[in-house]
Amino acid sequence: MDVTVTECPSCGEPAATGDAFCEYCGAELAPAVVSDAAPGFVPSCPVCSVAGISAEVTADGYCESCGRKVPTGRDHIELDLGLLVGVTDKGLRHPRNEDAMALATATTSAGQVAIAVVCDGVSSSPRPDEASLAGAETAVRVLLEAVRMGDDLSEASRDAVADAAEALNALAGPGGAPSATYVAAVACETAVTLSWLGDSRVYWISEAEPQLLTTDDSLAQEMIASGLFDEATAMASPQAHVITRWLGADNETPEAHVAQFVPPGPGVLVLCTDGLWNYQAEAADLASLIMPDALANPAGAADVLLKFALDAGGMDNITVVLVPYPLSSSRSADVS
Amino acid sequence: MSDLGSGFTVEVDQNQYLPEGGRSVSAIVTVTAAAGSPAASASPTAAAEIIIVDCSGSMDVPSFKMASARAAVTAAIDVLHDGTAFAVVAGTNTAWPVFPTDGTMALAGPGTRAAAKQAAAGLRASGGTAIGQWLRLACSIFETYPAQLRHAILLTDGKNQHETPQQLDAAIARSEGLFSCDCRGVGTDWEVAELRRVSTALLGTVDIVADPAGLAADFTAMMENAMGKQVADVALRVWTPQSAQVQLVKQVAPDMVDLTSRRTQTGPQAGDYPTGAWAPGESRDYHVAVSVNPAGVGQEMLAARVSLVASSSAGSGSEVLGQGLVRAVWTDDEALSTKINGRVAHYTGQAELASAIQDGLEARKAGDEETATAKLGKAVKLAQESGNEDTAKLLAKVVDVVDLATGTVRLKKAVNDADEMALDTRSTKTVRVKKEQA
Repeated sequence: MDVTVTECPSCGEPAATGDAFCEYCGAELAPAVVSDAAPGFVPSCPVCSVAGISAEVTADGYCESCGRKVPTGRDHIELDLGLLVGVTDKGLRHPRNEDAMALATATTSAGQVAIAVVCDGVSSSPRPDEASLAGAETAVRVLLEAVRMGDDLSEASRDAVADAAEALNALAGPGGAPSATYVAAVACETAVTLSWLGDSRVYWISEAEPQLLTTDDSLAQEMIASGLFDEATAMASPQAHVITRWLGADNETPEAHVAQFVPPGPGVLVLCTDGLWNYQAEAADLASLIMPDALANPAGAADVLLKFALDAGGMDNITVVLVPYPLSSSRSADVS
Repeated sequence: MSDLGSGFTVEVDQNQYLPEGGRSVSAIVTVTAAAGSPAASASPTAAAEIIIVDCSGSMDVPSFKMASARAAVTAAIDVLHDGTAFAVVAGTNTAWPVFPTDGTMALAGPGTRAAAKQAAAGLRASGGTAIGQWLRLACSIFETYPAQLRHAILLTDGKNQHETPQQLDAAIARSEGLFSCDCRGVGTDWEVAELRRVSTALLGTVDIVADPAGLAADFTAMMENAMGKQVADVALRVWTPQSAQVQLVKQVAPDMVDLTSRRTQTGPQAGDYPTGAWAPGESRDYHVAVSVNPAGVGQEMLAARVSLVASSSAGSGSEVLGQGLVRAVWTDDEALSTKINGRVAHYTGQAELASAIQDGLEARKAGDEETATAKLGKAVKLAQESGNEDTAKLLAKVVDVVDLATGTVRLKKAVNDADEMALDTRSTKTVRVKKEQA
């Protein structure tokens, strides 16, 4: 393939796009990005700072004066790596964003690869926001390394889940370990390796044959699978969103689902948390919201989906990652 | 839940969800001292004990009351750990040091124990009752010895007749913070409310020992409990946001002790509430209620930060031994905001039970049978509903239950004084409920 010359973001020396690291300074040329607060972000109370009161923010994130939970810098984050885009938002009803995403790209001998991991921290567990970020960040590194090494991607997907689980268990305190859902996609030019635990989802959105690619690990899904209830009844039950598999707490070696998907033509791979699909679970209806614009403008489509979930109530944190097919990194220039 | 590694865990159980505009945040805070915390290494010399014995004339009626008191003092002395500083005080309308006679403290050992027992054997009954005088002498004796854990046992058989209530209050105030005190009334001629004033202020227990024969066993148990305490004065520090009000800070298990009025301001937004001394592994529940300024739907606020602090080091440099967060989250989801936390409800019910009993007994004494019947009936119902069997049994000695479910009762015509006083003193005992595992 072509050896396009780019600049090392660290030292400014020229570098070949296929390289993972700069030949001169050793810096990672295309590191994974996560939906964490921007570097140098300093939390401050939105109420007291406006009122001119200088109040400290405690280590656990509260204003020392008025007690308000202070924004962490993760309330709304957009990431655009060209091959894929993502947006995460705390929504309208939750005090903080407990969703996290981690994205990466690589160029291999077999072509370009987009990697996405999305985690949704379980609110009833301790430190769910740290858990989701730690899980996504750990997993994306494992997957990126495996892609660069040309490893088996199903195997790498299981390794990524195991390492992410370990990262969550390392956050355990006296109140127990945190837990989170997990969904990852390693999108190569011809096939996608998916892995997941819990009820975050992956859809294939196209005009031709949109479809849901994952199966929820949830009580609702079990009710449907057992034939006891139809989908509408099961989803309306109060336990619908109780997940039956997860990353973290009491689950040291989670058994993740791993699946392969071959994109049948042009379309968009959509990873999302239940903050989106609660309001629109049908692939065809999601497609009608963003197709065909999503193919050329995935960032715009991510915004459309986010706005749709917010307008519908925004009851939960919302995270959406889009990977348009065929893979093309030249698109980002047109959009941003 | 948090454990800062220095010996206390703090768990908060609450429904953090408030409706739009909601202000009231209530939580049950469970504080547990670690089983083998740093305290385990505390040297026994850090403890000081004073046994205060009523020697008023009525202690001779019947005559074995004084003999039982002497035996109880002897039994308590036997429980003292070696090296514990101790003294024995006799009280009438004055007070004097029985052992050591110079008004200081002795260190427990074979020789001092024998000498103290010999001195106690010489105690005779004669004179009146001025409990304030006894407390004042205890204060001055405690102050002769630098101990961290200061505890007294106080025994009386009568009312505080030979000084004014104001004099007693002043003596209690002088003792507060200096030592804790478990109070016992022997027989039925003493005043529950009076002794409760002492025990509550001095963070101790109050109980009736109706039969003097039970004194020795009771003193042994009290002293064993005191010897088990290894963490000196610890305070519950409650931080609240600007413009928030602390409505309530109350120990609710193992018994009810309202600490709300015991606040010492320790900063612009924080105050300390005394909890006394702790034994390793000891666990208590507190009800903390705060009124906050509402924030918008979807917002989260820290309604209170509850910390355990070593109270000897009040102020900025104090050592935080454990910490828990009481939160408030405003939501428009009624299913969340209307959910009642089971433990908050339970302990609110136990507090109602205690006050229904105390109000009912007071009305009964005042001859207001109608109020007494209504209040004690309510108590019967609450005791039944909350599974407080001990209190239900005590109530059954004072009222005849007509209908348990509705709390319909009849006052018994003849009630044993001791039964009534036992119900009164033990009305604050609560049944503990543990946090439901999520």
